[in-house]
Amino acid sequence: MKNKKNNKLIIGIVVIAGALLYLVISSTLSQSQYFMTVQELKAGQAELVGKNIRMSGVVLGDTIAYDPQTLDLTFEVAQIPGDHQVIQDMGGMAAVLAQAAHDPTLPKIQVHYKGPRPDLLKDEAQAIMTGALDEAGVFQVSELLLKCPSKYEAELPAQSK
Amino acid sequence: MFYVGFLTSSLALTASAAALILVIISLFRKQTQLPGATVLLTKLSFFAHTAALLSLMVMQVLQDYSNVYVVSVINPAMPWILKITALWGGQTGSLFFWSWIVSLCVFLALTGKKRLLDNWSFLVVSLNQILFLGLSLVADNPFTRVWALEDGSLVTSLFAPQAGAVVERLTNGMGLNPLLRHPGMVIHPPLLYIGYALYLVPFAVGISTLARGSQSEHLLDQTRTWLLSAWVFLGAGIVLGSWWSYDVLGWGGYWAWDPVETASLMPWLASTALLHSLLLERRKNIFQRFNLLLVLLSYLLVVFSIFVTRSGLVNSVHAFGESSISIPLLVFMFLLLVSSAALLVWRWKSLSSEWKFESAFSRDALFLYTNIILIALVLICLWGLVFPLINGALTGVEMTLHRGFYDRSTTPLFALLVVLMSVCPLVGWNAASLKRLGKRIWIPLIIAALGLLAVFLGGVRQAWALGGIFIVILGFATLINLTVLDAQAVGLKNFPKLWWHQRSRYGAWLVHAGILMIALGIVGMGNLSASIEGTMIPGEKMPLRGYEIEFVSVRESFENPEYLTVTAETVLYKDGKEIARLNPAQHIYPDREQYITIPDAHATLRGDVYTLLAGYDVDVPYITLRLSDNPLVNYMWIGGIFMTAGGVLAATLPGKRSEREEETQTAEETLDSTSAADL
Repeated sequence: MKNKKNNKLIIGIVVIAGALLYLVISSTLSQSQYFMTVQELKAGQAELVGKNIRMSGVVLGDTIAYDPQTLDLTFEVAQIPGDHQVIQDMGGMAAVLAQAAHDPTLPKIQVHYKGPRPDLLKDEAQAIMTGALDEAGVFQVSELLLKCPSKYEAELPAQSK
Repeated sequence: MFYVGFLTSSLALTASAAALILVIISLFRKQTQLPGATVLLTKLSFFAHTAALLSLMVMQVLQDYSNVYVVSVINPAMPWILKITALWGGQTGSLFFWSWIVSLCVFLALTGKKRLLDNWSFLVVSLNQILFLGLSLVADNPFTRVWALEDGSLVTSLFAPQAGAVVERLTNGMGLNPLLRHPGMVIHPPLLYIGYALYLVPFAVGISTLARGSQSEHLLDQTRTWLLSAWVFLGAGIVLGSWWSYDVLGWGGYWAWDPVETASLMPWLASTALLHSLLLERRKNIFQRFNLLLVLLSYLLVVFSIFVTRSGLVNSVHAFGESSISIPLLVFMFLLLVSSAALLVWRWKSLSSEWKFESAFSRDALFLYTNIILIALVLICLWGLVFPLINGALTGVEMTLHRGFYDRSTTPLFALLVVLMSVCPLVGWNAASLKRLGKRIWIPLIIAALGLLAVFLGGVRQAWALGGIFIVILGFATLINLTVLDAQAVGLKNFPKLWWHQRSRYGAWLVHAGILMIALGIVGMGNLSASIEGTMIPGEKMPLRGYEIEFVSVRESFENPEYLTVTAETVLYKDGKEIARLNPAQHIYPDREQYITIPDAHATLRGDVYTLLAGYDVDVPYITLRLSDNPLVNYMWIGGIFMTAGGVLAATLPGKRSEREEETQTAEETLDSTSAADL
């Protein structure tokens, strides 16, 4: 009697665990994406077309073009390192962003996004973008995330008496 | 002011350290009673900590621009309330504020009527308190000042970095990030922090229970109020954060499965499971092991959440930038994890593990299913957060999970939870009761069916939405039906008294009603919302479903010295009749090259008609507008209020078992003679 109950329990647990595992594994496989830097994306451009990619780069303020009529937003982002340690060694994210935004030698890529212009989009902001590369080499962004608080928090303003 | 803050904060740390040493000595002497001196020192530490916190606040309000933190979050144009709340607007201040909240909880645990902490549990809370205060003061001291060196350059330091340096008082500060200047953001972090910190005390009591090897019987009594309060604060904080995001982040999203959001949900889910199985432990004395595990897990997840927010290892909108405290936090987290696990393993056998279910369809069983789902959700969240790190470490390729991962894997589970929640109150505590379920379910079922029909005739065709709405109405009708039955059973005159005596039960129902409403809001946003974007010149109209919006004018004005206000004037029509005037706006901060959009919505119980100013030109003039119809969204916020109210109600029940039983016994006797006997 007791064994029978235990068997039921075990079967129940196996079924539940199986369903959960399926859910997690299938979701992981279908929803994971490469996290790349601009440089890596440029290097592997040919075979990456159409793949779901998440990319981080620094926004170049001068290149921002926004058409409020069609909600077409284009800008360029430049390479920033993807490795936290490297960023630390270079003096932190704020410093990296400031430097990368004004270094013409770094790899850049054109980005297109359709939608209202995000509040935080501006020069030296870090853009974390989800999307895919199109045939023309433009990164078509479906999800645009911007960060730039560190500049305001970490540094003293350039201010003199 | 610097000296007040610096000295009191240092004193707080010193006093706490001394208290900790005393307790360690006392533990070596095999005593478990907390030494009186420790209590005194801890209280002293709390008062000093409070004084330090106040002095930082004073510096903010008085705009002492020799303080680096003040410079980074304050400017003269901010209203005084924001000058105060800027305390938790930046990384430095919020870490200090968090350490104070932890101190506050330790203080409360020491001052309660019945002393909650013994040497072991004090050891745990004290280590936590010292860690966070220490991290704040050592790694990122909030009292750091601006210094001018002899060559004129500015540096930051607590004390003179070199001979000849003088304290520099800057003339202006940067001000708080505009996104954070919102009532939601003013109270969201404190609520979250208080919730987080309240989990510490049950955690410590749990560790102490294991360390002493005593039965965990009292665990529940001692910490019930703490756990419930923690759960209420955390839940309210999460809902408020969600509202803030809907209202300020512009695009009307309420939840994005951002790592920080996900991490804050995890302790909430774990402790939701805990609250349920504690109830079973009380009724049937089962699940002791499981409960201890959950008590420990809840706080471990809190520390994990703090780590996610502050370490900079995870990309997130909410996360602060990278910081120097990630390594100590990581080490501390592992220390807590390993010692909790070791203690659990050590004492595993001595904990009762009785486990009997009379039926797969009793309320016990439903509780168990609920908890399995909740734990599964926690595991999914955890996987989502650590997968990128694990994958990166193993393969060297950096990959992340899209939010679709969470949507896909959690939606079926959340849906199941809502179904369970709807039918659970109908199911008896004991034997299989499919029969009585049949008896009780028909009234709610009819109501739900009618509701479904009404919604269907109203034009809703999406299967998920229909199913969701049906289940929610069913659950709601059930709760109301049962309440009415209770009232009938004891008579209307006696009902308020019963209601009060049984407030843990009615509180739980309120919470469930709130969650059902939140589910309704999610169904509305997820399945029924629609939006349209367009550019309009004055007089033009844009249609969406039965609505039409007309653009009247757009103007710029300086209402605030800091930003330019752009306001669009629009009129909203429904079926040709004017129903509202909406003024979506933008605040443009020229100095920051930043602007924030201020949406405007016509809010009713049906939902929001939500407008967002996406672009404009005053001279032409034209505006680009996004118009969204977000049905049912407001039930999310109302549900949040219900959830909080229910939690508070349940938490007011006395913590001590004897007192509580006295109160509930009479009520249960009354109910015994009624149809609700088994509830």
